[in-house]
Amino acid sequence: MSAKEVRASDVRPLPVLEETLNYLLSLLDSTEHPFEVIHDFVFDRTRSVRQDLIMQNIVNDKAINMFEKIVKFHVISHHKLRSSCSSSSISPLHYLNLEQLTKALTSLYNLYEANWSSKPIHEKEAEFRSFYVLLHLDSNGQPVGESLSLWFRHVPSPIIKSKEMWFARQALRYFQMGNYRRFLSTVAAEASYLQYCIIEPYIDEVRSLALCCIHNCYYKLHPYPLGHLSKVLMMEESDVELFCNAYGLQTCIDELGNKLLPTKQTTFCRPKGGLQNYSFLGFQQLGRQIEL
Amino acid sequence: MAYMSMGEAHRRITDYLNRFSDAVSSQDVVSLKQLLSFSSNSPSLLSLADSLNVFQDANRLIKQSDNYSPFADITVPLFRSLQHYRTGNLVDAYLAFEKSANAFIQEFRNWESAWALEALYVIAYEIRVLAERADRELASNGKSPEKLKAAGSFLMKVFGVLAGKGSKRVGALYLTCQLFKIYFKLGTVHLCRSVIRSIETARIFDFEEFPKRDKVTYMYYTGRLEVFNENFPAADQKLSYALINCNPQSEANIRMILKYLIPVKLSIGILPKDWLLEKYNLVEYSNIVQALRRGDLRLLRHALEEHEDQFLRSGVYLVLEKLELQVYQRLFKKIYIIQKQKDPSKAHQMKLDVIVKALKWLEMDMDVDELIKLAFSLDE
Repeated sequence: MSAKEVRASDVRPLPVLEETLNYLLSLLDSTEHPFEVIHDFVFDRTRSVRQDLIMQNIVNDKAINMFEKIVKFHVISHHKLRSSCSSSSISPLHYLNLEQLTKALTSLYNLYEANWSSKPIHEKEAEFRSFYVLLHLDSNGQPVGESLSLWFRHVPSPIIKSKEMWFARQALRYFQMGNYRRFLSTVAAEASYLQYCIIEPYIDEVRSLALCCIHNCYYKLHPYPLGHLSKVLMMEESDVELFCNAYGLQTCIDELGNKLLPTKQTTFCRPKGGLQNYSFLGFQQLGRQIEL
Repeated sequence: MAYMSMGEAHRRITDYLNRFSDAVSSQDVVSLKQLLSFSSNSPSLLSLADSLNVFQDANRLIKQSDNYSPFADITVPLFRSLQHYRTGNLVDAYLAFEKSANAFIQEFRNWESAWALEALYVIAYEIRVLAERADRELASNGKSPEKLKAAGSFLMKVFGVLAGKGSKRVGALYLTCQLFKIYFKLGTVHLCRSVIRSIETARIFDFEEFPKRDKVTYMYYTGRLEVFNENFPAADQKLSYALINCNPQSEANIRMILKYLIPVKLSIGILPKDWLLEKYNLVEYSNIVQALRRGDLRLLRHALEEHEDQFLRSGVYLVLEKLELQVYQRLFKKIYIIQKQKDPSKAHQMKLDVIVKALKWLEMDMDVDELIKLAFSLDE
């Protein structure tokens, strides 16, 4: 791999750090190597860029810009590393990435706050603040940093009223209520690409819940049309069948050729091991939003 | 300000210094307290400040007298602080007061009994309040406010002095409460954890020994922390303790406790009476209670929106938002009761489309799939 050797022991001035970061991020488009290898290389070096910025107490607009790019890298890795590992347990790489994502995000928030008097709102602040909410959808999970109630206390009002934050709070509300229908349709309609990447692990959880509910509650005499299930789960119809099969459920076809899911099957069981990655309706539009 | 002669100024200064040394030698904490309480803005302290401006050589006066020189380390910076305080220069007032307080702590350590504890309380209080005002001054001058943080570190040191086996240890809870106030104000709430650990698990302290007033304040703040972490049983227990043991005359304090206790009680299905909300001016909760009683989701959402900023700032918004499920439960129960009256034989089977219709009538747009999930969760 062609490398501009970056020595972590040097404390580099800002222009050098900017150039270094841009170079590192340009490597992410490379198709020469598997993503894990590129990620690993960029991961270590962006961490040292962050350290150099913090050590020199650089807190201006340029620092914000760089931290936003680094957070973006971690968010996209969060998504890509997940697709590349097939086991249900989170790989160490994925876990370490999440750890650094949280640290970089915290530093970024400190930078926003430090710049509050000189420039109250940064263009992307609302979206990057919304990430914190999306990382804490599951209040029973491991709390990473402050609880949400505490965290909201010091978020500026214009950010709370932003559409990105509004989306995150709606997602939180629907997730906690278990309203799978609105959760999935809101994500499809409103999430940005980066927000989707963060919320992706919860999507599987919600789909599980949806299948569970529909399967257990619907009248036995009225099998559930797969076409409709596809819209509820926000999943391609072909994937829906595989998804049902993973839960030990069989589908059938009626006289008109429509695929259906009979409910209250006795073979229903949770899949052992992880789920494969399924499609998400509307993902293609999200994909066009990436730019680093 | 009436003209004050040099002689008059000199008299007032020596008067103060005499009272100080008398208070210490006779262990008279009531008198000593008054000499330290800047924020009381007592006429005697104010006129002392004026005197110091007129008679500018107080330091020499202190150092040259056998009566006053033992306390020079305390009184010299104290006088300086008072002068800055009088001229509204709060940053310098804080710095000088901290210096004086530091010297006071050294003396306090040497006094065997806990006679001066209440004077120590006054000092702790003044440190916090002066630091808050100093930070406001810094912020208004475009500088970074860091005095309150410094006050926090200082008070932690004082806490350490009290955390011993002697009779002084009952003062630790008062210090803890001052620290809580600082951490809550600064938003560095996670720092509460180490003090809490010292109070609750160190074997030096017996919680029951502490003064009641301090226990109430302590439970109020630790109860609020439980609300932030959504530990409702613990929050209920602590905030209820604070409420029960709070001075019934002190309506402002009761209101503060209720502000956090009510969302907790709502979460466990206990609704306050309307007169309570009115008496303590907590009407922001009225519509929420009403929504829970009626099963009216629209009203809940409206109430949350109307007071969104307030609820978010106090940290109860997410708790209240979760009441949505309970509102649905109430609604379903009402529909069930109505249906049962119409057709008792079919009561146990609530038709989904009947519910969808009822919800539509209430302008709550919900499709059958959302309903399924609701039904599933209410079953539990």
